[in-house]
Amino acid sequence: MSLRKYLNLLFALLLVFAVACGGGKEVVDEKDLGEDDGAPPATAAGDTSATAAPATAAPVAVADAATVSGLVKFEGAAAKMPTIQMGADPFCASQHSTPVADEEVVVGPGGELANVIVWVKNAPAGPAPKTPAVLDQHGCKYVPHVSAVQAGQPIEIKNSDATLHNVHAMPKVNSAFNEGQPVQGMTSTKKFDKVEMTPFRIKCDVHGWMKSYMVVLPHGYHSVSQMNGTFSIANLPPGNYTLVAWHEKYGQQEQPVTVGAKETKQVTFTFKG
Amino acid sequence: MKPQEPIPHNYPMRKLNLIFALTSLGLLAVTGVMVMYDYVRGWKWFQLEFNRIQAERIQQELTSKNDAETRKRLAGIERDMKAGQVEIARNRNAYLEAQKALDEWEGKHYAADQNYRFAKAVLDAKRYELEAATVQHRHDVKERQREYDTRNAHLAQLNLTLQEVTRNRDAARARVDTFLKRIKQLEDQKKDLTANADLLNKQLRGVAMSSDNMILNAPMLDFINPTLKIDQVVLNDLFIEMNYMSVPRVDRCMTCHRAIDRPGFESKKEAERLAAELQTKLDRNLVQPSKRAEMEARVAALRRIVDGPRDMMNPFRTHPKLDTFVGSSSPHPLLEMGCTVCHRGQDRATEFGRAGHTPMSLRMEQRWKKSMPFFPSVKDYEKRNWGYEVNPFLDTPMYPREHSEAGCLKCHSGQMEVGEGEKINKATHMVELYGCHACHKISNWRFTDLQKPGPSLEGIAEKTTPAFAFRWIANPTHFRPTTRMPSFFYQRNMIGPDVSASERAQNIKYQDAEIHAIVTYLFSKSTHRAWSAPTGGDAARGKELVNSIGCMGCHIAQDTVKDEKTGVVRVAKRDDFPLERHFGFNLTGVGSKTNPAWIFNWVKNPKAYDPLAPMPSLRLSESEAADITAYLMSLQKPRFMQEPVRPPSASAVRELAKAYLVNTLTDVDANTKLRSMSDHDQLVYLGQRSIEKYGCYSCHDIKGFDGLKPIGTELTVEGSKTLHLFDFGFAHDYEAHDGKHEHILHTVPSWVYTKVRSPRVYDDKRAKPYNDKLKMPNFHLSPEEAQLVTSVVLGLTKEKVSENRLASRDARHRAVEEMRKIVSQRNCRACHVVNRAGRAIGPMIADTNFLPPDLTPQGGRAQSPWLFSFLKDPTVMKIRPWMNVRMPTFGFSDHEAATIVSGFAAEGNEPQFETMRYEIPPQQNVAIGREVYAMLRCAQCHSTTPVDPANPPLPNVADAQSLAPNLTLSKLRLRHDWIADWIRRPGEMIPDTRMPANFPRDPETGGFRSPLAGAIDTPQFAGHKAALLPYFANEEALRKTMGDAVALTNYLRDYIWSVGLNQMRNPGAGPVTPAPQPQPVTPPAPVQQTARAGSR
Repeated sequence: MSLRKYLNLLFALLLVFAVACGGGKEVVDEKDLGEDDGAPPATAAGDTSATAAPATAAPVAVADAATVSGLVKFEGAAAKMPTIQMGADPFCASQHSTPVADEEVVVGPGGELANVIVWVKNAPAGPAPKTPAVLDQHGCKYVPHVSAVQAGQPIEIKNSDATLHNVHAMPKVNSAFNEGQPVQGMTSTKKFDKVEMTPFRIKCDVHGWMKSYMVVLPHGYHSVSQMNGTFSIANLPPGNYTLVAWHEKYGQQEQPVTVGAKETKQVTFTFKG
Repeated sequence: MKPQEPIPHNYPMRKLNLIFALTSLGLLAVTGVMVMYDYVRGWKWFQLEFNRIQAERIQQELTSKNDAETRKRLAGIERDMKAGQVEIARNRNAYLEAQKALDEWEGKHYAADQNYRFAKAVLDAKRYELEAATVQHRHDVKERQREYDTRNAHLAQLNLTLQEVTRNRDAARARVDTFLKRIKQLEDQKKDLTANADLLNKQLRGVAMSSDNMILNAPMLDFINPTLKIDQVVLNDLFIEMNYMSVPRVDRCMTCHRAIDRPGFESKKEAERLAAELQTKLDRNLVQPSKRAEMEARVAALRRIVDGPRDMMNPFRTHPKLDTFVGSSSPHPLLEMGCTVCHRGQDRATEFGRAGHTPMSLRMEQRWKKSMPFFPSVKDYEKRNWGYEVNPFLDTPMYPREHSEAGCLKCHSGQMEVGEGEKINKATHMVELYGCHACHKISNWRFTDLQKPGPSLEGIAEKTTPAFAFRWIANPTHFRPTTRMPSFFYQRNMIGPDVSASERAQNIKYQDAEIHAIVTYLFSKSTHRAWSAPTGGDAARGKELVNSIGCMGCHIAQDTVKDEKTGVVRVAKRDDFPLERHFGFNLTGVGSKTNPAWIFNWVKNPKAYDPLAPMPSLRLSESEAADITAYLMSLQKPRFMQEPVRPPSASAVRELAKAYLVNTLTDVDANTKLRSMSDHDQLVYLGQRSIEKYGCYSCHDIKGFDGLKPIGTELTVEGSKTLHLFDFGFAHDYEAHDGKHEHILHTVPSWVYTKVRSPRVYDDKRAKPYNDKLKMPNFHLSPEEAQLVTSVVLGLTKEKVSENRLASRDARHRAVEEMRKIVSQRNCRACHVVNRAGRAIGPMIADTNFLPPDLTPQGGRAQSPWLFSFLKDPTVMKIRPWMNVRMPTFGFSDHEAATIVSGFAAEGNEPQFETMRYEIPPQQNVAIGREVYAMLRCAQCHSTTPVDPANPPLPNVADAQSLAPNLTLSKLRLRHDWIADWIRRPGEMIPDTRMPANFPRDPETGGFRSPLAGAIDTPQFAGHKAALLPYFANEEALRKTMGDAVALTNYLRDYIWSVGLNQMRNPGAGPVTPAPQPQPVTPPAPVQQTARAGSR
């Protein structure tokens, strides 16, 4: 064979090689990635947790602010509250001339439910206020019985009694603490840095009947219902919100509410006993 | 010239030339292929890719550092430098003169220095001559002396000159420096700003694809100093088995897994988890103030990874839990442990397949099997197509991901628990509880010296009836779905779908016969003691007692559970309850099983029935025991007792018995023997043989079977058994007892998992005589339980670890581990939190004030002599008389109690014997302590009224004072220094304690704040202040002490020590005599001084 033929053959073989060994491209199946983690790859945005605070909103112009107020009603027979036996601590007994009833269920004369925390569920988060929330131990009871604070807001816990109280907070998300307050008039300032949307208990280990509930919200749009069942949340930017009402015995209820600029909306919650 | 004639050749030259050329080219090609084959290695791709990632990161960092502000500052510095230069130019002459002066002085200094040094050398020579002359008593000593002295003086002179010159030169230098100072300052500033950038640039040069690197890494040249090379760590004291030899491991995994020990390359999932963990630590103030900033920076870096665009792909990821594994500050640093000791796999391999990587699932395996293109890109790495092939010749493939904790057992089998090893701890606890070690010998400390998992059968006739026993052995789960007793009979290899109908009928007859035989044997050899029945007994009160005094810590009393989410009621599974509550059996149906007399005497004193019974005595009174008996007898399962029982077929009994007899006798003799035995005797004989065959004696104490070897395969090195030694039989798929369809892979983990889950599946489709069929019983393990047990088996290997690497070898740790073994064997965690875990009874007790105490700080807290007395007899001191749950009397031997006590002392790093209890605190401290005690109002919860430790007054639960320990008992019980520590930080020792922190921590300094600091000056405390002032030099000193938490707690401790009792009762006789009912005791009336005639 001639040289030319040989060279032609070689060239042809090389060409064949080059084409064949290119390798096939396969479509990357996005689903298959990340399997080595042992968990299916994040279906990304889907699962933002409920406690993730929504983006901080611009400060509300006072002119636009709306108010949501209303009433918490109670239907049915209120559970009979037992009298608290304060005999174990003579100081506590001396502070009350009339028998003190357990504060679990406080129903007003017209069938209104007090001590219900009402807050806006999806309001924009705001910076923590500098003014502290106050929790006072007075007459061997917590005043207020239930309260809501903002994440990062200082909480001033005061002992107005001439007896030993200790403040034992039992949150699930924040750090728990248990501090004694032996001196009358002394205050401890504490802070909850994380949002905790389920109210938790604060108790006194010396006086077992003392109970208080607290919820930590990302914003300041909350209110506690009074003896006459009324509550009021002011300075709310206009929009659609969900209002949550929580009672320690009768559970939690939600209602949607829409407020326009400078509007005052009335909302009624009804708890059944 | 004559034209040359062509030279004749024998061969056609042109053709030869062509062939030669082609073969040379071919040889060149082959050489090229050889070099390429050797040069192109998979790990090089990974290293290149990793370098690229690093280069990208460094670039990013450089650009981020090169931001506007830095640039502005740099420009400013440059400007100033120029200005400085200009200034020098202006003072040029002065500068030049100063420089000239400096040069002169430098020269002078050089000369003076040289003179000095030469003179010194000459002096040394003269000294030698002098000393030689002196020693040799030569005549020229005096001359030498003179010479030496002159030289010495000369040297001193030169020294002074040198110092002078040096001083002058330094001055000259300083003068020059004043000109240059400004410039030098600016240069230093510039260096500060650019230092980081310089470092990064240097790193970048190391990893970037520069031409220098390419030459270093070129084929044929890369033996000199390549940048891409194999990375290995040689571990001389960790061994791998290689064909009858143990050789040190040489781990080369980090050749591809470049960032395994470097933080910053975590996957997003891991970064999120780690950030949350570290943030929790920061929030809870568990971090030293000096380390806070570092940890916060780390959390910030992790959060940046979470928010970053792409997830880091393996093999470039950081190892998860870097602080526990692989990190340089972890207990398992990479350079000391390598990788394969935990993960297994071929240590010296550098190819993906040879290393023994094991896919986690079938899908992962299929993805791995696809091959990568020749020149891969980032996209190809993401696809993870490694061209993987299952290698059946690997002796030690890697553990699949779900079994990665199996490797812990190599070093940690001397411990009861591995720190942070949740899965392996649960697995070993399960093995211990279900009793695998009873039938299968495991020669590890962890699984030796453990009690038998089943109750003693030596007195079975006293306890139950043959009717129950038959039904129980035939089908334990019909009676008790959560039982630990496995099913031996009527399994799939006897009556399963693969067994022919005729064989099935035969097998059923045989199995019936065997069970009847076993029952007959057990009852014929049983003792027949008489137990007295109770009189009366209120079942309702009994139920209350059972639910309150602590039975529910070790026992369950329910067969069904209500699903929390759906509200559906379903049959209970073992997993529905913590393992501790499976220690004692499920109480449902116990009334059908046994009789009142037995229960009555058992609950009063278990050890009377069986001295080795793990059940302790709850010191029940007669009426309490009667009530409990009535309640337990009311828990009946009549349907179970009505299940039909087939009577034994005489022919089956004979055949089976004969099969055993012919092992030792001839056929004829066997027949004769059989004919001479009555039916009952035949059953007894067959029963004995069956118990031997099935190994019942391994888990139960049975008369006549003392000291026999366990029946199962020894598992001590089962994890090292090679794949080809496992008998997979003919099974590929099977349906497990819970209906789940399972697939058997051809791997060791899969074999073990299948074996544990459905032991007899390997008999499917096999033809075997009856007595040769597989005998391992079915434990009804759920898939999760089976996985855990498989981990343990895989972890039992014969790969050696040198002695000094084993965990917990020193005396202190061994004492702790021995204590933990007893804690596990006696199930203390049913009621107590021990070492931060446990308290299974917790959810049963509504009021958290009434929970059994947390024993995590017990070692540092309790005095050893007290603890010993308490363990032997808990009634010796009732510290928490308000509790309903009773600390049982376990009947510990002295040795056991001593082991527990020394273990706790070792855990708390305290001595067992101390003299502190005899110390009398100074009177002054006691007085101050008394005042502080009053100021802090401790008396509102604690009492300091002396009580009889064995019989403290019954509490009034609404009284807070009754729910805190009586402090007069502290001197006998608590360690002296622990008391002050506890008062300062109770929440840190026991997180949910009711004891408040009176001295809360200051989050900034980490110290303790005192509430009395400001309070001492208030009018309410005036009385206290007046009482305290005499003990202090002045008011200032008093105020200072009131703010010092440590001093205050020490005073409190001294006061508490002073009111302590000195004596308690010795440990009592034991559980035989139940403790008397606690009677309310009025506090002792103060002693009246009787008036005597004549006195005032």
